[in-house]
Amino acid sequence: MNYDSLMIHYGELSTKGENRKMFVRELNKNIRHALKGMNAVTTFDHDHTYVRFEGDPMPIISRLQKVSGIQRISLVYKSDRDIEKLKEDALSLIKLEEGKTFKVNTKRGDKTYPLQSLELSRVLGGQILKNTDLKVDVHNPDITLNVDVRKDAIYLSSHTYMGAGGYPLGMNGKVMMMLSGGIDSPVAAYMMLRRGIKIECIHFAAPPYTSDAVLDKLKDIVKKLNVYQESVKLNIVPFTKLQLAIYQYVAEPYCITIMRRMMYRIAERVARRHNCVGIASGESIGQVASQTLDSMVTINNVTSFPVIRPLAVTDKLDIIKLSQEIETYDISIRPYEDCCTIFKPKKPKTRPKISECEYYESLFDWKTLLDECVENVNAIMIKDGEEVDFENK
Amino acid sequence: MIYFDNAATTAPLEEALSFYLKAVKDFPGNSSSTHGLGRQADRELEKARASILESFGLAKTHSLIFNSGATEGNNLAIKGIAHFYKNRGKKLITSSVEHPSVTNAFKELEKEGFEVVYLPVTEEGKVDPLSLEKALDKDTILVSIMGVNNETGAVNDLSALADLTHKFPKAFFHSDLTQAIGKVKVPYSKLDLFTYSSHKIGGLRGDGALIYLNKIKFAPLSDGGGQEFGFRSGTVNVPAVMTQAYVVKEALKGYESNLKHVKEISEYLRQNLNIPSEIRFNSPIDASPYVLNFSLINKKASVVLEALSEKGIYVSSVSACNSKGEPISEVLTAMGKSEGDARNSIRLSFSKRNTLEEAKTFVLAFKEVLEGVINR
Repeated sequence: MNYDSLMIHYGELSTKGENRKMFVRELNKNIRHALKGMNAVTTFDHDHTYVRFEGDPMPIISRLQKVSGIQRISLVYKSDRDIEKLKEDALSLIKLEEGKTFKVNTKRGDKTYPLQSLELSRVLGGQILKNTDLKVDVHNPDITLNVDVRKDAIYLSSHTYMGAGGYPLGMNGKVMMMLSGGIDSPVAAYMMLRRGIKIECIHFAAPPYTSDAVLDKLKDIVKKLNVYQESVKLNIVPFTKLQLAIYQYVAEPYCITIMRRMMYRIAERVARRHNCVGIASGESIGQVASQTLDSMVTINNVTSFPVIRPLAVTDKLDIIKLSQEIETYDISIRPYEDCCTIFKPKKPKTRPKISECEYYESLFDWKTLLDECVENVNAIMIKDGEEVDFENK
Repeated sequence: MIYFDNAATTAPLEEALSFYLKAVKDFPGNSSSTHGLGRQADRELEKARASILESFGLAKTHSLIFNSGATEGNNLAIKGIAHFYKNRGKKLITSSVEHPSVTNAFKELEKEGFEVVYLPVTEEGKVDPLSLEKALDKDTILVSIMGVNNETGAVNDLSALADLTHKFPKAFFHSDLTQAIGKVKVPYSKLDLFTYSSHKIGGLRGDGALIYLNKIKFAPLSDGGGQEFGFRSGTVNVPAVMTQAYVVKEALKGYESNLKHVKEISEYLRQNLNIPSEIRFNSPIDASPYVLNFSLINKKASVVLEALSEKGIYVSSVSACNSKGEPISEVLTAMGKSEGDARNSIRLSFSKRNTLEEAKTFVLAFKEVLEGVINR
């Protein structure tokens, strides 16, 4: 015999009261999608989702670890409520494990079960002590045998894996993620997804000043994000004309600030169109001139939308580590220039003033160019690692 | 579409492709097998070898090793000779504008304790024979200098360089002829060794050869079944080398007429792109007409390249091998060009299939791009 199921413990759902059913339903939909094509059957009840599998559970577990809303995943064996059968199974299972000491931990979810938790632990522990060389250690055991008594069966487990936590994807709406192609923004996207927030991506392209190869880079990044969200829309904004106009009408130290203000204006309009409830970016306070707190205030001033910056106070080294974990680092460091690097001013303002920005913005009628950007967005849909045909709206 | 990046790679000739397809079907055997099919393939392999040596007029004096192309050929020529003849001397000489497959092979040997001299180049990008003369001594076992520079098209006087080298009987003269075969006059019989890739002359990618004086021996780069006289193990791609024999013959045969045709294109472009406020030519006047290199004075080369690419015009900037790393031209730097020029060079490179019409279209499109793109 061996483990034959996974028991999935829900994340922070216990606090969710009336909405719980909806959360559980959504999570199970996501779980089924994550396990598509695997030899696994999913069922769920009020408290847990069960996945019956055949063969090696590790590939299934590693997929589940990427589904937001899962707290823990336990490898379990579905045993019988009959005490003799249960004793037999507990003994066989513990023999599969390596170690010298053990502990039995019983949770009696079904209070009608005739034996109380401690009694059941004692009975099973006695059985193991009699038939093996294992010794009991309740403080620091090598093996912990968890016994979960439920109405339908009793579940035995001794291995638990951590899930991604957070909420089921989609429960918290959708935001427009600003994706540059650098190291930070994919990580920010991942942190949003892990929290259960759906994303759409927006990128500002300025050909020929930015290379066509950047697009491939972005697609490759989005493909990595598909692990967490089945299909992701990538909106490409044709930004060249607007950027050249900024370059022409704005004093050099203010170019980047004004450019970011324009980007946020466009992002908000595209976001509203696509039913997003906010904007997210990979900005990290202080990393570059446009990301000082003063800059953020001045840039943020153009939008009333919530702007979420998951990396605002994260160290660069931690960001890099995360980007390696989600496998976007090697893509991000491909050396193509984006529209921020190509127009990099020699001395950008680190404390730009809103009033100055407004002055420069009054020198030219930006509306036509802004409208053009929004109207000519080119949307690409990337699903399960593949670009799919998609009607541009 | 206008393809002016033939020094990077040239599309295979139609005839070469059909020749190859037929050969793949007709000669399925492994040339090392001893059965009928194997022997049949082996006969074709030897025919191809003989035919190529014949095309170069080297049938009696030289031998040929088929390989995957000039990178492998350069490595075997340089490391193979250095290792095999290391007891004769420890000094190696090359130029400072070679292809990375040459330069980096020498850098490896330097780590092993060889002394390597990197000859400077003139501002035209050529090796001055005088500087070679000064560097040569009795300890020298190998000199490797390219025929035509891949970035600028500068042509070296191989005849003079080889003669100088041969004053020292222990020294061999090798030349990377990747951009030279069928494109400029080469004194093949004076070269002790040379390398090339088939795909630069309308053949297949992943195919090439190292040609060397009969008496030369190499320490092989990899161990295996002992094919190609024990110098280059691995099953020989017989259909590919048969195709190589075909394209080499065609390239040498068509030399005069192709040159005349390409020269017309090249000269047209040189005249019509002569905008002193925007462009500085890097290719010397007597460069191979197959390459025309210039630097942009005010614009960023990567931006111009991208803008041209959007119009379906394909050219290259710096060297394709380097553009993923730091995009600065080592060749132009060695020629004494400024950093701005070395970072913003554009290389046009032609084949016999380009037309004067394309050159005319190019000039118009290029000027349009220069006007539309902001200064760097």
